[in-house]
Amino acid sequence: MTPDDVPYLPRGVRTQFDAVRKVDVILGPERVLVLDQVGKAVVGRLDGEASLAEISADLAQVYDAPVDVIAPDVTAFVEDLRDRGMVHVRPR
Amino acid sequence: MAWTKPKAREV
Repeated sequence: MTPDDVPYLPRGVRTQFDAVRKVDVILGPERVLVLDQVGKAVVGRLDGEASLAEISADLAQVYDAPVDVIAPDVTAFVEDLRDRGMVHVRPR
Repeated sequence: MAWTKPKAREV
């Protein structure tokens, strides 16, 4: 994936707060992933408009952390979700 | 909030 790629949740994938366990989850076909707090922050920004670079820059501001630390983590996380079929990516 | 590597654990 490149910084200009735009990730998004495809049809059939959505996020939800699981009230029983009090965790945020991402629901896909026959698959449920529990997100930690940072994972939720990343997934919440996959709106199909923002590029990976823009998402990383936004999170760097929110978390007051260097973007060169955050960008590789965000990219690896989104690639993992893509490999699990929970995220699709389109070029800008 | 501190930045940590984001995680998604499958259940």
